[in-house]
Amino acid sequence: MGISRWKNQLLALLATRFPALAKKFTDSYTPRASTGDIPWVRPAVPLHRAKLALVTTAGIHHPEQQPFDMQDANGDPSYRAVDGDRLFDNFTITHDYYNHSDAGKDPNIIFPLDRLKELVAEGKLGSLAATHYSFMGHIDGQHIDTLIRKTAVEIAEKLRQDQVDIVLLTPG
Amino acid sequence: MGLIQRVIEAAGIATIGISIVREYAEQVQPPRTVFLKWPFGHPVGEPHNRAQQRAVVEESLRLLYEIDTPGTIVDLPFAWRRHDYSAWDQPAS
Repeated sequence: MGISRWKNQLLALLATRFPALAKKFTDSYTPRASTGDIPWVRPAVPLHRAKLALVTTAGIHHPEQQPFDMQDANGDPSYRAVDGDRLFDNFTITHDYYNHSDAGKDPNIIFPLDRLKELVAEGKLGSLAATHYSFMGHIDGQHIDTLIRKTAVEIAEKLRQDQVDIVLLTPG
Repeated sequence: MGLIQRVIEAAGIATIGISIVREYAEQVQPPRTVFLKWPFGHPVGEPHNRAQQRAVVEESLRLLYEIDTPGTIVDLPFAWRRHDYSAWDQPAS
């Protein structure tokens, strides 16, 4: 493992253990500010009939999938499609910018599949999509354009094709 | 995360995002955000704390339907492990 990866992981661990340091850590990354109108649609159907998909930037994926690129300081704008029925049987998390030891113990804290399945079983939520999408956060530089013009557009189209009504997004 | 959220909403799918860094949501302006001042890596709570995780998920989905102003950020009133989550600790029926 390269020294820069080790440094990022150490900073992420410290920022999780000592919240006072978190501010310093977040100040080192500034997301691109948005201008103009904020996109807006109403949910098409009530919650008890809605089909929900999860989208995360916490870097969780199936072990057989290619890990996110942690060598590029500008992050990795690609995504992994994950199967909600089997992800928690065997998963991995590729993300050096937060400490994911707790998420390794219970991935619901970054990707609440089990809680959503309970809501479906209780009739509060209509259904869950079979496929969900995982990114690695901390995207910067030229990768921001790749994200908003290509990869995010691709998953939005896939969600539409899958007739997903609502999306819950979680960070790392 | 908020940039992805904006693209999904622009494609016609209603979205809500959980944020643990309020400044990011203020900059990116996703359509709907719930904010928790919680540690990195724990946007939905602590490992195996089912009631706490349920609280975050259910409040997020409720607000997905209730928020009526684009760009709204709702500060959820959950003080990490000091909050009483027993109201969300119902057994699945």
